[in-house]
Amino acid sequence: MSTIAIVFRKEMTDNLRDRRSILVAMIYPLMGPLLLGLLFSFVGSMLKTEHGPGRPVEVAVVHAENAPEFTRFLEAHGVVIRPAPDDPKAAVQRDELPFALVLPERPAAASATPLEVTVVTDPARLDSIVASGQILDILRDYERETTAARLRAKGLDPGVMTSLRVMHENVGRAANLGFMFLNMIPPFLMFTLFIGGVYLTLDATSGERERGSFEPLMINPVTRSQVLIGKLAAAVVFTLLALAVQVVAFWIMLHSIPREALGIGTLPSVMHLSLLVPVCVPLAVFAVATQLIITAVTRSIKEAQTYLGLLPLVPGIAGMILVFVPVKVHSLLASIPTFGQTLLMGQMMRSEAVSWSLIGVSVLATLAFTLALLALGFRLYEREGILFPS
Amino acid sequence: MIEARELYKSFSGVHAVQGVSFIARDGEITGIIGPNGAGKTTILRMIYTVLAPDSGKTLVDGIDAELDRRAVQRRLGVMPDVRGLYPRLTAREHVRYFGELHGLEAHEIERRTAELVNTLAMADFIDRRAKGFSRGQQMKVALARALVHNPHNVILDEPTNGLDVGTSRSVRELLRRFRREGRCVLLSSHIMQEVAALADRIVILSDGRVALQGTPDELRESTGVDELEDVFMAATMALPADRAAPAALGAVAD
Repeated sequence: MSTIAIVFRKEMTDNLRDRRSILVAMIYPLMGPLLLGLLFSFVGSMLKTEHGPGRPVEVAVVHAENAPEFTRFLEAHGVVIRPAPDDPKAAVQRDELPFALVLPERPAAASATPLEVTVVTDPARLDSIVASGQILDILRDYERETTAARLRAKGLDPGVMTSLRVMHENVGRAANLGFMFLNMIPPFLMFTLFIGGVYLTLDATSGERERGSFEPLMINPVTRSQVLIGKLAAAVVFTLLALAVQVVAFWIMLHSIPREALGIGTLPSVMHLSLLVPVCVPLAVFAVATQLIITAVTRSIKEAQTYLGLLPLVPGIAGMILVFVPVKVHSLLASIPTFGQTLLMGQMMRSEAVSWSLIGVSVLATLAFTLALLALGFRLYEREGILFPS
Repeated sequence: MIEARELYKSFSGVHAVQGVSFIARDGEITGIIGPNGAGKTTILRMIYTVLAPDSGKTLVDGIDAELDRRAVQRRLGVMPDVRGLYPRLTAREHVRYFGELHGLEAHEIERRTAELVNTLAMADFIDRRAKGFSRGQQMKVALARALVHNPHNVILDEPTNGLDVGTSRSVRELLRRFRREGRCVLLSSHIMQEVAALADRIVILSDGRVALQGTPDELRESTGVDELEDVFMAATMALPADRAAPAALGAVAD
């Protein structure tokens, strides 16, 4: 058995017995799916049960008695009229109502005057936006139908009044609300890639030095790079294990949330998700290589831990920005390790076609960066003082 | 056989070892002794290849460590000062790990482990995890894994440091057995009594230099002092031993 395999097997045995390593690899990855699942279920249930499409919209209407024809129209279109409080603006401000309609204080004098309707909303509230959006559609219908009826009464073609009909078709996929939800997943995967194997790396390098076991280990007829490769391989396996746990957890989560209400259409297929393998494996090695560098330039487990805890934030923050500011993927961006993978993962989550050439660019660029980091890390580990606890 | 030739080593301006030479012969126990900070561990580390000397060379069985480090490592069994065990591995797994790294076959490792369990009286903790081992047990595990490949040359840094009387005695018996088997044993200590009880040859270090070396008898003869502890005190007080020793004795006589 080669030195690398011997060291790899020892680190696997050792760390599979370590509760902290297991916790980081198996339990931490569940947090993201759990939190996002709760968030999605909450938002979804709000959109679905209260004001979702096809559900009766409850509206508080002030002075409903002043426009009986209008209120009848609303009721005919599935709106449930509720009595409004005295001060509807304050009620909306205080979150007692999602929104309200205010009709004129006096009944219309003549039948041909326009009916003034004020829609009181709070755009900071999701349910307010959704409900007022639905009611605005109904209001437009009312206007069109009433105008048409009046024109017909005067013997005119209602088409005369319509010089322009604006059709709105949204083809920008990323702008969709559902895609925004799906875009939240890659930052979590990125975080796991950088945290999944971190405890093993720490234990096998800084820990080995601090325990004083690195010195006896290196008296054996082995080279430092062989030993390090064995250790890093074990850390990569733990990282991928954590990632697999998280992908499965996200899969289950996405299948158990109210997807229709959230605007999440089709879910990525298993075939599509299998593209995560070429995208993530090089990045897992990259992450472990950066961890190695950090353990090489720090003196103790504690010091290393400080930096290793901050490390995942760098790619994580880039991913969070992409949730809100979607970027078109091109090869220059794909070649940036972590950033490129976040973009590609986003495409996969949204079931978009992922180009093989971009995956190729990402894999090659990440591998090149990784090799450079490993070369630097191995050099740092050749220093004499590194063997001894400081 | 282990040989140090004109070894020099500095760490950021501090001259830890300055021109140390000695030979540890086969079938003998050689003891390096010196006060804390005299350079004992640094010298041993250069011999067992984890530190490179600034100048000078180390040879094991005539092989220059600089030219063939692997060959030197294969001929050495080393127990460093810090035992460095893995808390989650059993004693047996420690021995197996090092045996594998030396390229031994599984059955060979098993056979050697059984021998070492017997020699070092490890039967009652060989399959227990190292977390919570007593110092004596830790030392035995560190020693067993250092000896798994049956090395001809054995280096022990402070082997009985922190051990109880019984365990210290069994270590001494083991080292005498190595001597009978014709192995080369090199150990360091800061306790003269321990070295005096074991060593065929003593190297007294002071401030990174060899203050005195020779068999116990040669040391007594050259200093004119009977007690080896007095020889040690005289040699490490930075004065030439032949002048320091009578002065020290004179003071006691007064």
